Amino acid sequence: MVFRTFPLFVRNRGPDELWRKRRILKLSAHFHGRSRNCYSIAVRAVHRALVYATKARALKKEDMRALWDARLTAACEEHKFSYSLMRESLSRCNILLNRKVLTDLAIWEPRSFKSLVKLAWSRASQDGLNGVKELGEEPSGVITRGMIK
Amino acid sequence: MSIYKRAQQWTTFTRVWHLFDAKWQNPFESAKIIQKYLAGLHKPIYGPSADTGDHVVVINSKEIALPGDEWQKRVYFHHTGFAGGASWTFAWELHEKDPTLVLKKAIYNSMKGNLYRHTKMERLHIYPDANVPQEILENVTNQIRRPRLIPKRLDEYSEEEVEKFPKLIDYPEDYVIQKIK
Repeated sequence: MVFRTFPLFVRNRGPDELWRKRRILKLSAHFHGRSRNCYSIAVRAVHRALVYATKARALKKEDMRALWDARLTAACEEHKFSYSLMRESLSRCNILLNRKVLTDLAIWEPRSFKSLVKLAWSRASQDGLNGVKELGEEPSGVITRGMIK
Repeated sequence: MSIYKRAQQWTTFTRVWHLFDAKWQNPFESAKIIQKYLAGLHKPIYGPSADTGDHVVVINSKEIALPGDEWQKRVYFHHTGFAGGASWTFAWELHEKDPTLVLKKAIYNSMKGNLYRHTKMERLHIYPDANVPQEILENVTNQIRRPRLIPKRLDEYSEEEVEKFPKLIDYPEDYVIQKIK
């Protein structure tokens, strides 16, 4: 390619316009209306969509966290225990299960979850955490050979 | 899907019917509890789009207790849409017109205003007293714990219990005690 002047060299944007546009239009293939096929509209819509996608990666993590919290609150209340106390006591017992695993246990292995609640409850009342006494009597039958400390 | 798995799916997502006795309960406090059951927030399988909510049958809504002087101070607003169509109704007035409405509005307002709200309200059955139709009552399998204990009134104690209760002083003979009706 021959560029007679410097401005013409700057304006040149690559070998082929078709392939540059095609790259954008492939991303807009599933859009609605003219933003699917008309390039000047499509390129704006694609840029917006990519911004949304970037933001949504962080939002998805927040949403999942909120969902797990809601599910775990329900699971703890089934056993008349509180979720915040459960988290605190489990970390004190050095049981490092995250929200996702705890939720999966609550749904698919409710008895394992119940035993975790029992363990957390006895740890909470042993350490005298705030608000344990209001929940009532701690569950009996937690045998740990002194490993609860 | 095997038959066992299918049955497990049905039983997991079956709608449960709960009973709630609203006698002497604060409707705004009860609303927060009831709306959890209507939305399915009491189950670990909860999902915002899974529709895991249950039915709640509320009885004795006639005997709810508003805190403080809310019966006189709380006002419900309605507008017909025409000019001069605004109206304000006190809580005690509304309760006289329909003894289920104060509780119903409390539950409605405790929910988020989205498209699921009407579906959830459809699953709420409020009755002013304990007369619930048999076809509704036969579904009920669970009772929701009331947030407030109902205290026992003095006239509900037997005379023997009143006599036994330790007392500090004896009233003078000419002292007139007002009887509770």
